[in-house]
Amino acid sequence: MKKILFSLVMVAVLLLSACGGKTAGGNANNGSPVQITYMEWGDPAELDVWNAIVSDFEAANPNIKVNVDVSDWDSYWTKLKTLLAASTPPDVFAMDAPLYLDYQSRGVLLNIQPYIDSNPGMLDGLFPNTLTAYQTPDGYFGLPRDFQTIVVFYNKDMFDKAGVAYPLSNWTYDDLRATAKALTADTNGDGTIDQFGYVIDPWDFEPGMSEIIWANGGDLINADHTKTLIGEPNARTAFQFLHDMMFIDHSIPDPNTSSQYGGDLFLSGNAAMMAMGHWAVPSYAEAGFKWDVVQMPSGPSGQATSVNSAGFVVGKDSKNPEAAFAFIKFVLSTAGQTRLAEMGFACPVLKTVAESDAFLKQSTPINHQMFIDSLSFAHMKPVFKGYDEWSSTIGDGLNPMWNGEAELNPTLDDIVILADEVLANNK
Amino acid sequence: MTKTTQKMLLDLVTYAFLFFGAVTMLAPFLWMLATSFKLPADQFTHTLIPNPATLDNFRKLFSFDLNFPRLFLNSTIISLLTVVGQLLTCAMAAFCFAVVKFRGRNMLFTILLITLMIPEQVTLIPNFIIFKWLHLVGTSVPLWLPAFWGGAFGTFLLRQYFLTIPRELVDAARVDGASLWQIFLRIYLPLGKPALAALAIFTFQGSWNDLLHPLVYMPNVPNTTLTVGLAFFQTQLTQGGRFTVLMAGALISILPLILVFFFAQKQFIEGISLSGLKR
Amino acid sequence: MEYGLKPLGREKLWFWIMLIPTLIGLTFGALGSILATLGLSLTNWDLLTPPTWAGLSNYLALFDNPAYFKALTNTFKFSAMYVPGVVIVSLFVAVLMNRKIHGVSIFRTIYFLPAVTSAVATALVWNMIYGRDTGILNFILNRLGQSSICWLCSKNALMSVVVVNIWGAIGEGMIIFLAGLTAIPREYYEAATIDGAGLFDQFFSITLPLVTPSIFFQTLISTINAFQAYDYIYMMTRQGQGDSSVPVVVFSIYRNAWNFFRYGGASAQAIELAVLVILLMAFYFWLERRYVVYE
Repeated sequence: MKKILFSLVMVAVLLLSACGGKTAGGNANNGSPVQITYMEWGDPAELDVWNAIVSDFEAANPNIKVNVDVSDWDSYWTKLKTLLAASTPPDVFAMDAPLYLDYQSRGVLLNIQPYIDSNPGMLDGLFPNTLTAYQTPDGYFGLPRDFQTIVVFYNKDMFDKAGVAYPLSNWTYDDLRATAKALTADTNGDGTIDQFGYVIDPWDFEPGMSEIIWANGGDLINADHTKTLIGEPNARTAFQFLHDMMFIDHSIPDPNTSSQYGGDLFLSGNAAMMAMGHWAVPSYAEAGFKWDVVQMPSGPSGQATSVNSAGFVVGKDSKNPEAAFAFIKFVLSTAGQTRLAEMGFACPVLKTVAESDAFLKQSTPINHQMFIDSLSFAHMKPVFKGYDEWSSTIGDGLNPMWNGEAELNPTLDDIVILADEVLANNK
Repeated sequence: MTKTTQKMLLDLVTYAFLFFGAVTMLAPFLWMLATSFKLPADQFTHTLIPNPATLDNFRKLFSFDLNFPRLFLNSTIISLLTVVGQLLTCAMAAFCFAVVKFRGRNMLFTILLITLMIPEQVTLIPNFIIFKWLHLVGTSVPLWLPAFWGGAFGTFLLRQYFLTIPRELVDAARVDGASLWQIFLRIYLPLGKPALAALAIFTFQGSWNDLLHPLVYMPNVPNTTLTVGLAFFQTQLTQGGRFTVLMAGALISILPLILVFFFAQKQFIEGISLSGLKR
Repeated sequence: MEYGLKPLGREKLWFWIMLIPTLIGLTFGALGSILATLGLSLTNWDLLTPPTWAGLSNYLALFDNPAYFKALTNTFKFSAMYVPGVVIVSLFVAVLMNRKIHGVSIFRTIYFLPAVTSAVATALVWNMIYGRDTGILNFILNRLGQSSICWLCSKNALMSVVVVNIWGAIGEGMIIFLAGLTAIPREYYEAATIDGAGLFDQFFSITLPLVTPSIFFQTLISTINAFQAYDYIYMMTRQGQGDSSVPVVVFSIYRNAWNFFRYGGASAQAIELAVLVILLMAFYFWLERRYVVYE
């Protein structure tokens, strides 16, 4: 019996060592292909597109091999941080703009300014407000790969059924409120509302809260990131507006209610409108109803929306920075950007591609132009060291308020104090 | 009341409780099963029989170009190796703690138990650094090799069980001139089968369902485990409201565990007989 | 309990061979990690830059932190409900299954199902069951003429989550107890029946005392699990990025370590949690000396 056991173990060990993978990243060695790793988060469907981009790239650069690693959001950051902690960073990896400074300030990113300088005109074709997030006094440590603006997605079938007119691009928040109210209903007559007029994310500023704050003339944080501004009068008015929609009109579902419908009320057909970015387009394409997008409404200070980007950065300890940069350059070229545009998850940062059919006439037949037009009144999602902790503190603080267990004004007062402490701790 | 009536009544009560409990245990799974055959539009309905029913969700799972068979194989091999490692080393250690007298036995055991208390997320980084230094990142070795260094849970479990094995057997064997190793092999291992089976089940399950370690040590599909492959889709599926596919995936990943359990549980039928020691 | 064989002569070698793997594992594996965690808890480390010395500041900061105390309270409340629940229910189930009845293999498999499943998927199912407006529980309640209960609102969330965790752990407890029960020789029961002892008597004077080693094991392990419980609680009460309406200490540890670049602080919290469990463990050992019966 023991003999069998031992032979089993030996066989298995041999098997496994045979099919065990290689350690990540290889070095250039007298002319044999350089191997770089590119890590990013994304949808499984993105893997195919990235592989296509990589084959195009490898065809144009025969001495570089790219190994693409795509994971879901949570896994991505766990893997990335583990690799960085062990000083074996991937050569190129994806970065969420707001978190960029957390990494850059800790010295794990390579300064790619020299490479940009030796490629003059490389950045000219990109939308300027996508570049702002990555600029530091010492130059660029990363570049945007694609961007997201927030718009309102609306369910055309639901509007048709209720006889409500579609939103116009010059609509106001009052229009939004009225429309949402008209579309909130108890469709199956069981006494509880199951169709909601408008859905926002109550914890992350990007889809829904920051836009109305800006449209009201308020802001989230001051320019040098030392003071949280969500307690200022203009911001409070914005919160009050959303609060009223939630607790007076009941057109926005509170977190307890929305958790019953899974993660996404728009997709499940329980919401008429939702503030969302382009990343949702491919999965909404499979929705069983007709929908389209329109810009965020305007408030007393005009129209406002949020712009954010996913970028790439190069690990400081990467052994092949030239190859890494060559890959970045390729993805920012027309060829790379076109493929990304066709994939549909985000908006291309290269102007020519954004205005071309590759993006505008991609497979889902909606008004993609809205996302590009929104850039003209978009505010940047804040980028600073400690962003994650700061926004989590605020999100945590808002919970009781959205659950109806705490009053709006005292809650905001408390949050601002805690959030400012976080800012101070992160300087 | 006669003995047989009493037994019948007892059996009835037993069945009633077990049955009622089984329904509670099973209910969520029945719902999962039903949902995995439903159309996405019906995913929130309360019906247990999907109407219309579809195989689409399973098809979708396999369409994800994940190389399921390979992931399955990887998970299986790693889990099996882990079980072998744990059974071997924990049994030996448990024997030492339960039967052998040595200085510092209690203190060492206490230290062993303390290691159970640090959550794995926190020990991940120090361990990763060690394996990286050994150039073992990217292979499956960090996932099963630690199983060959014993483990607090397994040792604790087996030690408790070993302590219940009658001392007379050991004393008798000693009188007959049996050595320590022989006592371990001929008395404790055979009599410890129920606990060993339990440990095998738990170890297999722990390894099979482990996400954190394969995520970090074997990050690239398809050279990774089933859990990592599935995690790839989970966030997308939960946020995207595609529960039907998520349920299908969850069901598939449970199947091997159920099979392992079904076979391993036969060990529980055996009991100890005081009469005679099987040589 | 101070029984033990003394290894004689060459047996000492065997003894060492048997213990060496565990010793290696302890020193380099577990103990090494614990010392590393302890060390890191005295630093401020953001994973990316070299650690800086922080002394006891991470520990002191915990006293100032109302969120941490709330999490600690929740953790204790959770454990106080969970541990007795799991031990009692799974012992009961195991005792029932230990009788000679038909179809016991099927029953055992059914009871073990929840223990093997992925928490992510089943947590979602439980969300559906507990849903205030759409859930099955309230559906049944309404049918019976009762009004809906908000199972996952802050008031009831802890209880609801404890139930799910117990549901998920019965299978494992059942296995442990079944193994322990089969170690009780049937001759004892036969002798007791001949002596005229009834069922309850047999349970309390034979079964219960002889299953105390397993009870000790299960209680200790369940306590450790309760303090580290994460999956179900998070999936069912999550609110936003890593927060929940029933925060427990583990959430704080994970967020600090992985999101906020405060690995040192997270380590301190982990150590503190471990210390609390160790205190409980000392209590359990005391109980063991007094009440646990080994043959």
